[in-house]
Amino acid sequence: MGEVMFRRLATSPPVIKTKRENRSPFHLRVWRAKWLYLALLVPVAMLLIFEWLPAFSALYNSLYIWNGGKVHFYVGLEHYERMLSDRTFRVAIANLVGFVFFRVIMQTVLPFFAAEMIINLRSQRWSYWWKIIFVFPMVVPTILNYLIWRFIYNPQVGLLNEGLELIGLGEYTHAWLGDPNTVMWALAFVRFPWLPTLQFLIILGGLQTIPQEVHESAAIDGAGFWRRLFYIDIPMTRRQITLAMILTMLFMTQRFDLFLVMTDGGPGYSSMVPALQLYQSAFHFLEFGYASAIGVVLFVAMLALTVINLRVSAGATAD
Amino acid sequence: MATLNRKSLRFGNRDLPFQLALIAFGIVTFFPLALVVITSFKSNTQFYHNFWLPELPLHTGNYSSAFRIIWRYIDNSVLYSGSTICLIAVIASVAGYVFARFRFPFKTVIFLGFITLIMVPGVLTLAPRFVLVRDLGLVNTPFALISVWVSGGLVLSTWLMRSYFESLPQELFDAAYVDGAAEWQVFIYVSVPLARPMIATVAMTTLIGTWNDLIWPLVTITDKDKMPLAMGLMQFSSDFETDWGTLFAGYVISSIPLLCVFAVAMRQFISGLTSGAVKA
Repeated sequence: MGEVMFRRLATSPPVIKTKRENRSPFHLRVWRAKWLYLALLVPVAMLLIFEWLPAFSALYNSLYIWNGGKVHFYVGLEHYERMLSDRTFRVAIANLVGFVFFRVIMQTVLPFFAAEMIINLRSQRWSYWWKIIFVFPMVVPTILNYLIWRFIYNPQVGLLNEGLELIGLGEYTHAWLGDPNTVMWALAFVRFPWLPTLQFLIILGGLQTIPQEVHESAAIDGAGFWRRLFYIDIPMTRRQITLAMILTMLFMTQRFDLFLVMTDGGPGYSSMVPALQLYQSAFHFLEFGYASAIGVVLFVAMLALTVINLRVSAGATAD
Repeated sequence: MATLNRKSLRFGNRDLPFQLALIAFGIVTFFPLALVVITSFKSNTQFYHNFWLPELPLHTGNYSSAFRIIWRYIDNSVLYSGSTICLIAVIASVAGYVFARFRFPFKTVIFLGFITLIMVPGVLTLAPRFVLVRDLGLVNTPFALISVWVSGGLVLSTWLMRSYFESLPQELFDAAYVDGAAEWQVFIYVSVPLARPMIATVAMTTLIGTWNDLIWPLVTITDKDKMPLAMGLMQFSSDFETDWGTLFAGYVISSIPLLCVFAVAMRQFISGLTSGAVKA
């Protein structure tokens, strides 16, 4: 969201309406704006209580041992040191990096592929219907995706194993989620090949804004499908692709419902990710201090990723 | 030739390879869903005997037994998500309007207090927020969900509403002022009706976000009677673990509410998102 935000801010028009003169003394201006402050009272109070307070509480309590209740004492940076030597956390980070890497590629290539096919259609009506068809899976509640994929990977009556039996590859059937060697791969393919709706629509929107004339003149110059893809479509939608990648990255780093529902980090902790470890530290082991520290690390990592991404994409558009 | 094909539903020659690729893609996408629907009409014996194909007789009883359980969760979710959407629509419109149309001391600071929160991820605040909500005595009440969902949704919604109100031409407002309308009248009779597309977008985003939220209900709601759909489905799937027909009938039923919403709003949703609402 970052990039959109800054762009919008930079281009938003100056405030047009100044109903009264602004030259009056400060306290008078504050007094005159009393109804405006009143109108903002509810949202500001809600954000202070439910957003700002927990955010600072997380920063503060990451320095404490805290069970969420009375046990509360200062330990300094001990939680952060503990993270360095925590084997579970190390596995979690490695899992997350691989998972995010794979997901970013999958969740960019698939939507781009589908969108490219759709804009290549001459028939307007068909391209409209394909859009609807590929957006359709979003009516299925997210959790159902996971439950259905749990069924797909089910070792006894799962779709995947049954399918392998059916085509005569019975010896490859597997307890996909129960084997530490396959579990992360199995999780990485969950929802395949469903398109991530937001990313799909962003990329599609980008491809649709390429003017018809550009494609026509490319066709006249004898550019085929592949040349057009690599020399026109991909470069011209670079911004949308970057945005889609950032979004995937941010979603995947902080969402852990997939892991919670499918494996709960198991077997052992072979499919652990940091966010899930945060959840377990807080709600299973009542280590709210340690959980907060993990949260702070994730927050910093996500912030850094966004900034790097914005820098890179700004650099790419500058040349 | 090409122009002739444009309006017909038949595949143009040139379209054929793309159509074939899309059809293949579509089949892989919908295959698991189709299997879920097929299985939802089977008894367990039928399922174990014949995994792939539909089989008579259809066990529609699966649906009535699943419906009895799923219904309560859907009901709860409609209540929770519905109240969240209404509250966000009202609060974000007012706040967005104030930010867009007025100049007053501390405006920038307050607005920054809103938008910097976009950078604060939910995982950071999860644990301390739970303690807060628990200490406020909200655990296991609808307010635990609604209060947090509203405040979380306000961040993006207020910003969207603000940019929308800023984009409306000044003349519209001037006309109303000239006619002697008070500020609140301008807001209710001019601005809100004009902002309907953006309010719809905000409502839709909120709906999807809250409908699918699993983690927050999981930590704050403990009563089966009060669970929203996402959490209820998890409960349901462990209660009916080996009763495949009923289980999948429940899955199908739980997809229907959003299906109905999208049948109505799909067109607007797609055009809203592809025609520049999210232009990077």
